[in-house]
Amino acid sequence: MDKLRRALLGQIAKLTAGAALVPLSSLASAGINAQPPRREGDPSKRYAMLIDLRACIGCQACTVSCHIENEAPLGSFRTIVSQYEVEHEETGDIATFMLPRLCNHCDNPPCVPVCPVEATFQRQDGIVVVDNDVCVGCAYCVQACPYDARFINEHTQTADKCTFCAHRLDVGLLPACVESCVGGARIIGDLNDPDSQISRMMKEHYEDLMVLKPEMGTAPHVFYLGMEERFMSRPQAKPAIWDVRTQEGKEIGYEFDGH
Amino acid sequence: MNSMAIEVLTPRYGIAWYPWAVQYFFMIAVSYSALLLTVPGLIFGNKNYQPLAKVALLVTVTCTLVGPVALLADLHQPLRFWHFYANLNTQSWMSIGSLLLPLYLVMVLAYAWLAWRPAMQEQAQEPGWIGKLSGWISMGSWQAPRWMLVLAGLGALAFAFGIMLYTGAEVAILKSRPLWHTNWLPVMFVLTGLVAASGLVVLINRLMTGNDEEINRQGLKVIFVSMALAAIVAALWVSEGITGFSPSVEAAFESLKGNAEWRLVAIYGLAVGIVLTLATIAMLRRPGWMTRAWIAGLLAVHIGWTFRWMVLMEVQTVAKNTAGYYQYAVEAGSSGLLGIVGTFGLWLAALLIIDILVPWKKGLQAGSH
Repeated sequence: MDKLRRALLGQIAKLTAGAALVPLSSLASAGINAQPPRREGDPSKRYAMLIDLRACIGCQACTVSCHIENEAPLGSFRTIVSQYEVEHEETGDIATFMLPRLCNHCDNPPCVPVCPVEATFQRQDGIVVVDNDVCVGCAYCVQACPYDARFINEHTQTADKCTFCAHRLDVGLLPACVESCVGGARIIGDLNDPDSQISRMMKEHYEDLMVLKPEMGTAPHVFYLGMEERFMSRPQAKPAIWDVRTQEGKEIGYEFDGH
Repeated sequence: MNSMAIEVLTPRYGIAWYPWAVQYFFMIAVSYSALLLTVPGLIFGNKNYQPLAKVALLVTVTCTLVGPVALLADLHQPLRFWHFYANLNTQSWMSIGSLLLPLYLVMVLAYAWLAWRPAMQEQAQEPGWIGKLSGWISMGSWQAPRWMLVLAGLGALAFAFGIMLYTGAEVAILKSRPLWHTNWLPVMFVLTGLVAASGLVVLINRLMTGNDEEINRQGLKVIFVSMALAAIVAALWVSEGITGFSPSVEAAFESLKGNAEWRLVAIYGLAVGIVLTLATIAMLRRPGWMTRAWIAGLLAVHIGWTFRWMVLMEVQTVAKNTAGYYQYAVEAGSSGLLGIVGTFGLWLAALLIIDILVPWKKGLQAGSH
């Protein structure tokens, strides 16, 4: 990606992150693939997450606690911390970049209008959830999500995704990933409450916040602090972990093969 | 930035749409394309196109019957299919499709029933169980006026356009996969559908109706025109990427640049396309070669199916959010190989059952053996 385009994307990222601060009128454009009305949840709230990458050490405690809390099948994750090894362009120093990924609970979630049976919907507090009793497992939402945040749960054979641990939030608990975060990097809260920690932090770091894939127009509500622009979209990186090779250099397969 | 980044840790994301989806997209495209081939002969009553229409109608009916089965199988909860109608979300293209598809199926069956009915009524006079069954299927000896056939045909045609639109739009609206997100994709689905349907008609013409020369000629012409149009569409798509900003073309070039397998596939696709186009020209120009039209037919079916495989399956191996590509190996079970073979097996069964029950060839005189 050339410099100009990266800079442009960076600007879009900042603008999009900023847009969440002004009350977002949900897109009222009628027609095919328009957002259906939100339902359930507390209409006075708008949940969002801020991830302070400066505090993330890549310990995967969030990954593990989420896996246990939400009983995702082995090999499928509602959240994960992607890790990159980055070499500095001038000094040649090696650094590790950690990027926790989860559902972005977008304000314009592309996964919701595609659902043919309205099994996946956005609550009035902004959380995107799936009604597993209704879901037919067509996987259209899995295709529509630009963040790979959804998967078909092989146990339930329906769509599965991060819910911000809505079942915990609703009874006053923090999501498992937030609760277990060693560095306190994950901050969840109500954007409609100006005194919440997330609102205060978003005001304070307004200029430095970024979201993933802003060019998709999804208005994500997971904001990153200390983010590098090159990782915003599909990273220009060498995939390493899946190159499981024999000593002769012959590829022998993927780590999760056989599940 | 020229610094190196290596992705050390990321999960492997599985394939969400199985080969069943390819089978559905293939079957339904062949179905609506073959339906188009029946129009001059059956709806307009043009005698020159009636043999073509007879073979094409058989292809339409068999593919229309089998396509929805594959679609149902691609659901991870197939028994919940009734949720499509109990929880309508007409904002979703897939939901619109779930309304169009059964209506299309009913109209196609009505059209075929009316077209085959006179021959079935004749067969009903014969002794034995086939005669008896034909009597039941043709529901009495009253003569259906021609306007009923035309009306059913036009109805099926109207829904066919709906199917073309929804199957294309359903995939093309997905911004998340830039390779799919282009208006040219629905057009390409229709054109390659026409190629495959004509190919299948030519193939069946070789196997079941004695290699009628006129059917071969008409089939090859449709293949040639569709291939030429497909080449223009592909050129337009690429030029859109060169002159302006098209994420779809950009993603394609990125994949070609970074993946030797994709380069090989692109070269193969281009080569097979050129070979087929040249073969149709040669066969149309040299009368002696026309008897070998089935080879072009086979190639045309291959192109129609492989295009869908590449678009639906291989694009899913392009990581959306992480570096690199996922490796996809077709499983042996029902979500893989068994599903593919099973769909074709079911199609063959439908073809043979109709061939036994329905005198669909009646009045068809093969021009050259």
